[in-house]
Amino acid sequence: MEPAVHNLLENSARIRPDKVALVQGDLRITYRQANIRANRVAGWLIDEGVLPGERVVMLLKNGIEYLAGYYGILKAGAVAVPLNCDLRVDALRELLADLHPVAVICGSEGEQLLNGIDSDLFGIRLLLIKDASGSRTPRGARVFAWDEVVTDADLPDHGLATNASALAGIIYTSGSTGAPKGVMLSHRNIVSNTCSIIQYLGLNENDVQMVVLPFFYVMGKSLLNTHVAVGGTVVVNNEFAYSAPVIRQMAQEGVTGFSGVPSTYAYLLHRSPLAAFRDKLPALRYCTQAGGHMAREIKQRLMEVLPPHTRLYIMYGATEAAARLTYVEPEMLVEKIDSIGRAIPGVTVRVLDEKGEEVAEGEIGELVASGANIMLGYWRDEIATGKVLDANGYHTGDMGYRDGDGYLYVTGRKDHLLKVGGHRLDPQEIEDALMATGELLEVAVLGVDDHLLGKKLVAIAVSLQENPSDKVLLSRCLSRLPRHKIPSEIRFVAALPKYASGKIDRAACLEASPLADPSCNGRQGD
Amino acid sequence: MSLQEEIRSFIVDNFLFGDAGTLNNDSSFIKEGIVDSTGILQLVAFIQEQYRVVVEDEELIPENLDSVSKVAAFIENKMKMAALVGEELEVAVGGADGAV
Repeated sequence: MEPAVHNLLENSARIRPDKVALVQGDLRITYRQANIRANRVAGWLIDEGVLPGERVVMLLKNGIEYLAGYYGILKAGAVAVPLNCDLRVDALRELLADLHPVAVICGSEGEQLLNGIDSDLFGIRLLLIKDASGSRTPRGARVFAWDEVVTDADLPDHGLATNASALAGIIYTSGSTGAPKGVMLSHRNIVSNTCSIIQYLGLNENDVQMVVLPFFYVMGKSLLNTHVAVGGTVVVNNEFAYSAPVIRQMAQEGVTGFSGVPSTYAYLLHRSPLAAFRDKLPALRYCTQAGGHMAREIKQRLMEVLPPHTRLYIMYGATEAAARLTYVEPEMLVEKIDSIGRAIPGVTVRVLDEKGEEVAEGEIGELVASGANIMLGYWRDEIATGKVLDANGYHTGDMGYRDGDGYLYVTGRKDHLLKVGGHRLDPQEIEDALMATGELLEVAVLGVDDHLLGKKLVAIAVSLQENPSDKVLLSRCLSRLPRHKIPSEIRFVAALPKYASGKIDRAACLEASPLADPSCNGRQGD
Repeated sequence: MSLQEEIRSFIVDNFLFGDAGTLNNDSSFIKEGIVDSTGILQLVAFIQEQYRVVVEDEELIPENLDSVSKVAAFIENKMKMAALVGEELEVAVGGADGAV
């Protein structure tokens, strides 16, 4: 029978019951314990009448409760919907109204957030809370204490059959525009992608992954599922902002793999003792990067700074693809430094024109992916689903081309294209040119309304220098870019705003930079 | 304004949108969800510019930076050390144009 996502945990619990599945500070949980706790969560949900297909929201930070909650929900046949516990109350309210969840599993942070909401408005019947403050009982919902429900007393797998095409989870994407969309992933979507990733990264039971990305984000979810599937270990550290202890813990725990988005690596390179640990990470077999385009400069610096035995995998994917679509083999990285690589096992990625025809080598089109990992659709949004899914597969919205060796390149996003003075520009090329100066930590190039040009280019940049000069930067760009692609202005800020996944929140970048009124020449008063 | 008050007002202005809410001087920035790695960069940039101290990568630990009182103690200690060593930190860099 085709396995369900929770079968991955059950298999590892059977084969390696005493192996450590998850490390969280001083806490260690074995596969046997993890599976029993997940069974306890499942038993509770079933006893309380939760039916297959009903949504159970998780408001949990990375940790043991997340692991037990996630697999427990799936074991009960319900749909796991992990949400960011740093959401604002209004945003949470909108998502709950969209989901109508039957239950919420949370810790004290999630409880605080829920306190601002009338739970019965959204049909929430059950709350399972770790470390409840008990400050307030939400109307209409019955509250259960995690420690009473999820004990370590043995409870066998219930063994209910799960259809592989059944909905397993919904992950909300942080879209650049509009409301977040709920990506529906089936058991098959997740399991097939998990198997592909294990294959190309060569993961096995000896792998120990340092997880600093949230599990509620699709890349974090993949880290959890791949390591659980092989019987490896995940070390969760929810304090990446303090990078020094994270790197020290990587050395102590003999971490073999580390994963991040571009901002993770920018931060590690410029604000961490990574370089000083080059000789102290003998076990670090590989690092992976996904979650958006990373400047060539950062890739090159990483190859210099990481230990010589550490392989760097550049990868590409989407929430809609249950995470992963392509990767670059580390041995090809120098030659194909700007590429996103080739499709992973079980996935096909083609470059199509607007009519759905495959374009010639070197020509730009949209990257369209197909495979068992492609989502079922967006939750309760057929219009949005129809826009991205068709007979050709999933339309990523990323524009790019394929080279003579079959390697794919992303040139930018369809919806990021800017029209400036009659030219259609992609900000990625300009951001790359600015990053190539080596003077910046990170940068986002945006279009700001301009009465003459329609849009003018503004770069929001974080400098590595104490006294950055926009003139110097712009003049260096002149050797790399035609004049019409040079930003009109560079605004320096201390940091770029990010989503919880670490991706740059482009919409918030302009708000984060000093206001300048584009319709007049001078700067207006505050 | 005392050092603690200055740090506190920087945190409130930049991360809490002016609403101090339940923030006290010992609230953990990370546990309360007040700052992430981006926030730490901003905080470190502020400390370096405002107090003319250099924050080393190895010093990016919660013990130094994870609450108003810890940050204040960290800066005080840094300034004391700098004075002791007699380091001349007042390089010929103007303080007014810390472009933010």
